[in-house]
Amino acid sequence: MARRDDRAATLGSRAVQVGFLLGILGLWYLATNRWGVNRLLLPNPVAVWQQLLDVLKSGEYLPDLRITLTELFAAFALSMTFGTIVGFFVSRTRYTIRVFEPLFAGIYSIPIILFLPLFVLFFGLGPASKIALGATISFFPIVLSTIAGFGNVDRTMVTAAKSMGASDYQMFRYVLLPAALPVILSGLRMGFTVALLAIIGSEVLASLGGLGHHIVQLAEGMDMARMFAYVAFVVVIAATLNGVVSLLEARGRRRI
Amino acid sequence: MTTRDAAVRIKGVSHQFGEAGETQYVRALADTSLDIARGELLCLIGPSGCGKSTLLNVIGGLMTPSGGAVEVAGKPVRGPMPQDIAFVFQENALFPWNTVLENVRLGMLFQGVPKSEHEARAKQSLEAVGLTEFAHHYPSQLSGGMRQRAALARALSLKTDILLMDEPFGALDEQTRMILGEDLSVLLSQTDKTIVFVTHSLGEAVFLADRVAVFSARPGTIKKIIRVDEPHPRKPEFITSEKFTALRNELYALLHDEIRKTVAESARAPGGS
Amino acid sequence: MNSSLRNYLLRHPGVVRLAVVLLILIVWEIAARFLVDPLFIAPPSRVVASLGAVWNTPGVPAALRLTLFELAVAFSISTVVGLAVGLAVGLRPFARRSVMPIILLLYGLPQITILPIFILLFGIGPLSKIAFGITHGTFAIIIAIVAGVQNLKPILLVSARSMGASRWQILRWVIFPHMIPSFFAGMRLGMTGVLLGVLLAELYVSTAGIGHFTTMFTENFDPTKLFGLVAMLAAMAIALNEIVRRAETRFSRWR
Repeated sequence: MARRDDRAATLGSRAVQVGFLLGILGLWYLATNRWGVNRLLLPNPVAVWQQLLDVLKSGEYLPDLRITLTELFAAFALSMTFGTIVGFFVSRTRYTIRVFEPLFAGIYSIPIILFLPLFVLFFGLGPASKIALGATISFFPIVLSTIAGFGNVDRTMVTAAKSMGASDYQMFRYVLLPAALPVILSGLRMGFTVALLAIIGSEVLASLGGLGHHIVQLAEGMDMARMFAYVAFVVVIAATLNGVVSLLEARGRRRI
Repeated sequence: MTTRDAAVRIKGVSHQFGEAGETQYVRALADTSLDIARGELLCLIGPSGCGKSTLLNVIGGLMTPSGGAVEVAGKPVRGPMPQDIAFVFQENALFPWNTVLENVRLGMLFQGVPKSEHEARAKQSLEAVGLTEFAHHYPSQLSGGMRQRAALARALSLKTDILLMDEPFGALDEQTRMILGEDLSVLLSQTDKTIVFVTHSLGEAVFLADRVAVFSARPGTIKKIIRVDEPHPRKPEFITSEKFTALRNELYALLHDEIRKTVAESARAPGGS
Repeated sequence: MNSSLRNYLLRHPGVVRLAVVLLILIVWEIAARFLVDPLFIAPPSRVVASLGAVWNTPGVPAALRLTLFELAVAFSISTVVGLAVGLAVGLRPFARRSVMPIILLLYGLPQITILPIFILLFGIGPLSKIAFGITHGTFAIIIAIVAGVQNLKPILLVSARSMGASRWQILRWVIFPHMIPSFFAGMRLGMTGVLLGVLLAELYVSTAGIGHFTTMFTENFDPTKLFGLVAMLAAMAIALNEIVRRAETRFSRWR
């Protein structure tokens, strides 16, 4: 009985979600075709779709995509390396955690993208400033989760291993790392998501290339339909990348 | 007891946490001395915070005492001695990401047992605790009692002379405790390990121990040692015997005031044992 | 190291933290003065010294005030809307199950990509900054409120009902007090979101706001004033975050 109710409820909520999606698309279509909303503001959905197909077919997005992805992976590689290493060493004693964790948490609480002008001043408008900013911003969730992961390993497990004669290396490999891994992986996922947002964001704000920059270019040229197409494209890319990373995280957690 | 028979010699061990004058200053253990004979099962029992777990950690080399020293097998204890001493903790000592078998093997890896022996020893110790069928289960798939059996198997596979058990059945329900207690007694009659066992349970202490060291309230020291003259393996009938009841009553009488003292102390100074 | 000094430091990690920050400032100072081209980086000593000059640059105080205004308006609206929607959705399981995935989906989108659209819609004045701040803050608050409602332990409701509490009484005496910490947690996240949204919009395009001045200082290769302005903004962000965080701690004492 309960399962049938559950099934009905799930169907119901799915219906609402699908309805919402269709509703939005419907409103959009009506707004541009029937209600005369300014085309310069809201392009015709059909036009957007056509532009999207054109972008995909022509491969026009490729150079920008390459730039954005390069910046992203470079930034993430940096923040992942430094974040995990620094996080591990900070986690070694209660005291160092008490000194450094609030420092990192405090800095992370402000929008670090605020410092973009400083990075642009120092690194210029090219990819270097995006990589630097992306690495800086994504460093924090990674270091914080690494500290949390290693810092919260059950003391009893550590004591038990020590009592059985585990060496430092064995302790790290067989006790600390597997215990901390779920938290660290979730921090890496967050770091990746944040890096992606930071990079696209800084491309929108101050850049010479990349997907974010292209969107701004199209907006300034008032090419609304194509701009919307690009936004949709970027959203899909972002969602896909985030989805892949989430899957990797889940896989990693299941391994242990 | 001659030096030859003593597996563990505790000499004037005392321990405090923090510095005198600080708010966190605690005198956990006052001057304690004791010899533990080879092959005996000694229980440490006392009110919360009386230092029995502290003493166990000191014996096992997990803690350096503020005063005094411990000798195990004639050698001074200066740190963990995995070749001589194995621990069984109350809970959370099994690695949740490894199966029971992997947990047992990992212990042997840490101790330095040659890989060729792992399989045989693991099999043997799992059989001894009755977990052969559950070798490939994860701790989360096991009941509390089975998890503690696994922890015991891991300790047994290390083939140490000395086994230190810190309230190993403390997190289990009474019925599981009874069964595990009986099984432990049978197991130990088959080996000649020296066991030091910390517990809160009076019945458990009388049922399992050859001698029971009763601790006073904090700062703890051994108030009295009671001998339980009953051969291992102890039968379930022992529990209902007059001897058992008399011993249990004696323990109760010794402990009751100490426990009251401890409760009064913690009401006065909240912040725990 | 002297033993009592060591003990003091061990008991006051905050002092060591401060020392670490000072160390970083010193390294920055040395690097900026002697190692790097002064066109690109400014030493902290000079930044501090020129804070007055930044403040006196015509239009800067007004720009800061404007930003504060935008933040305040965006935050207030986000809070009201976020709380209302959050409660409406959170308290009804069906609404939660159908609407939350949509909200989470929208929350996960890189909103920065539609910033140009916001500008086109709302212009380059404060309205677009406020709107962009609202979209960032509201979602965060809704999610926090819904999470707060969800972790209300059913046993509390059961025991209230077993004592004869009416629906209204349960709302007033069980659900409402339970929600207060989540509400403040939501406000904290909302503030973070609003800060992000408003500042992003400001940095994108601004004729009289702080974005205008960051662009100006960057183009004029005036790192001292740029660092100074950014530092002021960072201080503002930290202060606002701190206010909300303290409010949260004060009202969550029972947790």
